[in-house]
Amino acid sequence: MKCPIETAENAELLLAYCARKLDAESTAIIERHMEICPACREFSSGQRAVWEALAAWEAAPVTPDFDRRLYQRIDREVSWWNLLVRPFRPALLRQGVPILAAACLVVMAGVIMEHPASAPPAAQPQSAQVETIQPDQVEPALDAMHMLGEFSYRVRGDAADSKM
Amino acid sequence: MPERVKTDMGGATAALDCDAELMLRVKEGDGASFGLLLEKHRSPVVHFLYRMVQNHAVAEELAQEVFLRVYRSRSSYEPTAKFTTWLFRIATHLALNSLRDGKNERLQERLDNDSSDLPARQVSDSRPSVEQKMVYRVRLEEVRQAVAALPEKQRAAVLMHKYEELEYAQIARVLRCSESAVKSLLFRAYETLRARLAHMA
Repeated sequence: MKCPIETAENAELLLAYCARKLDAESTAIIERHMEICPACREFSSGQRAVWEALAAWEAAPVTPDFDRRLYQRIDREVSWWNLLVRPFRPALLRQGVPILAAACLVVMAGVIMEHPASAPPAAQPQSAQVETIQPDQVEPALDAMHMLGEFSYRVRGDAADSKM
Repeated sequence: MPERVKTDMGGATAALDCDAELMLRVKEGDGASFGLLLEKHRSPVVHFLYRMVQNHAVAEELAQEVFLRVYRSRSSYEPTAKFTTWLFRIATHLALNSLRDGKNERLQERLDNDSSDLPARQVSDSRPSVEQKMVYRVRLEEVRQAVAALPEKQRAAVLMHKYEELEYAQIARVLRCSESAVKSLLFRAYETLRARLAHMA
């Protein structure tokens, strides 16, 4: 085998060997190599020392009230949320549908106001805004004006006779 | 195993661990499953955080935050990786943030004289002598200082590799880097530790 220190792939093997995590076959291969490789022997003895030194570093046990404190925090979060939602809960339960409908209406109104659905009317030609009178309409209009004038004259005349 | 706990991980379908299955039950509202997860992972998470920040009070506080985040995320949990990978990603993220914020610095002064951080150690069948206790303390302090002197990512990688026995692929996912980067991190970290601790052999 190639020297584990020289190749990255085999260095992994050497670390696993020092951690006693290799299977019997791979362990035998590494040990055969170490018989003829002082560099790997040195690496191995140093790494084993590190491994054992780290193993001696025991962490203190977790404090007994760890779970109680954690569940307290969870309960606090849940109750805080409940406190926020509580004022709205009865209304939501009893009048859920009307409230939902009202909310939908408000949202729809907002959307309509924001984006009017009807497209702006197309600009009318300017001539359409001026009322045009055709020549054949002039004669009846003049007749009507004449009749109105005669009617007005007669009314005034009747009024003067009645005063005398 | 139910079909729902099989998931696609980068194209390959992988059957998930029982922790992920428990977490899926938590997602469905099963509080007892959360209790089981807490029971199983409480000590590894606290110990990992303790070795990262080297302060027991801060480590427990951070561990509380880890499990609180797990609980909060239950509704959006998707088993896309091993549960422990996800758990240690949260723990590592919090530990690195804590170290960068220097939150544990104000408590660090207490660390040197805090004998409560040291577990009662049984050196032999008989009670350890004063001398043995002293030697143990000195060696332990050396180990702690050597680990604390490692760059943060190397430290996290060593702790996950040595104490939590996470695979290279898992460590890579926790640290968001490639597997070869993890191997390189570990190799450099152990090289540094060998230089400082090899005399303990």
